[in-house]
Amino acid sequence: MLNASYAGRSLPPTEPVVITPDSVTRFAQALGLDDDGTVPPTFLISLTLPAAERLIDDPEFGLDWSRVLHREQRFAYHRELRAGAAVSCASTIESIKSVAGNDLLALRTDVHDGEGLAAEVWTTLFVAGDPA
Amino acid sequence: MSLSELAVGQTVFTATYPVTRADLVAYADASGDQNPIHQDEAAAKAAGLPDVIAHGMYTMGLVSRAVREWTASAGLDATLTDFSARFAKPVVVPADGGAEVVVEGKIRKLDATSVELAMTVLSAGEKVLAPARATLVTK
Repeated sequence: MLNASYAGRSLPPTEPVVITPDSVTRFAQALGLDDDGTVPPTFLISLTLPAAERLIDDPEFGLDWSRVLHREQRFAYHRELRAGAAVSCASTIESIKSVAGNDLLALRTDVHDGEGLAAEVWTTLFVAGDPA
Repeated sequence: MSLSELAVGQTVFTATYPVTRADLVAYADASGDQNPIHQDEAAAKAAGLPDVIAHGMYTMGLVSRAVREWTASAGLDATLTDFSARFAKPVVVPADGGAEVVVEGKIRKLDATSVELAMTVLSAGEKVLAPARATLVTK
């Protein structure tokens, strides 16, 4: 079981990282997308999940990655990001819900560029409970 | 094309994508998600899965591709503002022959400047994403 007292915890934004044209090209090619210089719709997961891992990879929290399944994913985009953008990620544990001995862990990561909030990324992870 | 030519309930695209193990390796390298259940049969079976499964985010990426291919072919100049999915069932990808993902897009909501698509996403006859939605706003 997860330590429910972690609900509401957040981390300060990461240092800005540049989304390189090369990383955008490789991501687009892996999905068969035309590489038009825009950041592919699902690209931000490759930044937001590692940012959130800093918050939840904590022995006190009790998260066992081998029991984790990705349950839900949502992106809200406030403007189009292009390759070359520098972004920082700020992660929050929005909620921890226990359902029939399993946990649903809801994370939100705010993605800022030089102009402010560019995108919000929500990830819900299903964490299977200990076998009875 | 303009949004006024569309109607709620209309099916606007059906796209079929083959998925092979090599595609999953390329996606793992591009995304940084190297969880072995997406590449190694023994690791997948040890985790209680029938075989190697696609990354949920790979399947969601294919849905984004279907949406982009539709807007391009329809000549719709629009920006994606919201995109969501629930991962209901895994896409199982056998070594021999791979798998197929079929994405059907329907108009769910429509107004003068935006359209919301609801996608049905099937693999081996099962709904793998339920639901998947995308909102586009015209430029």
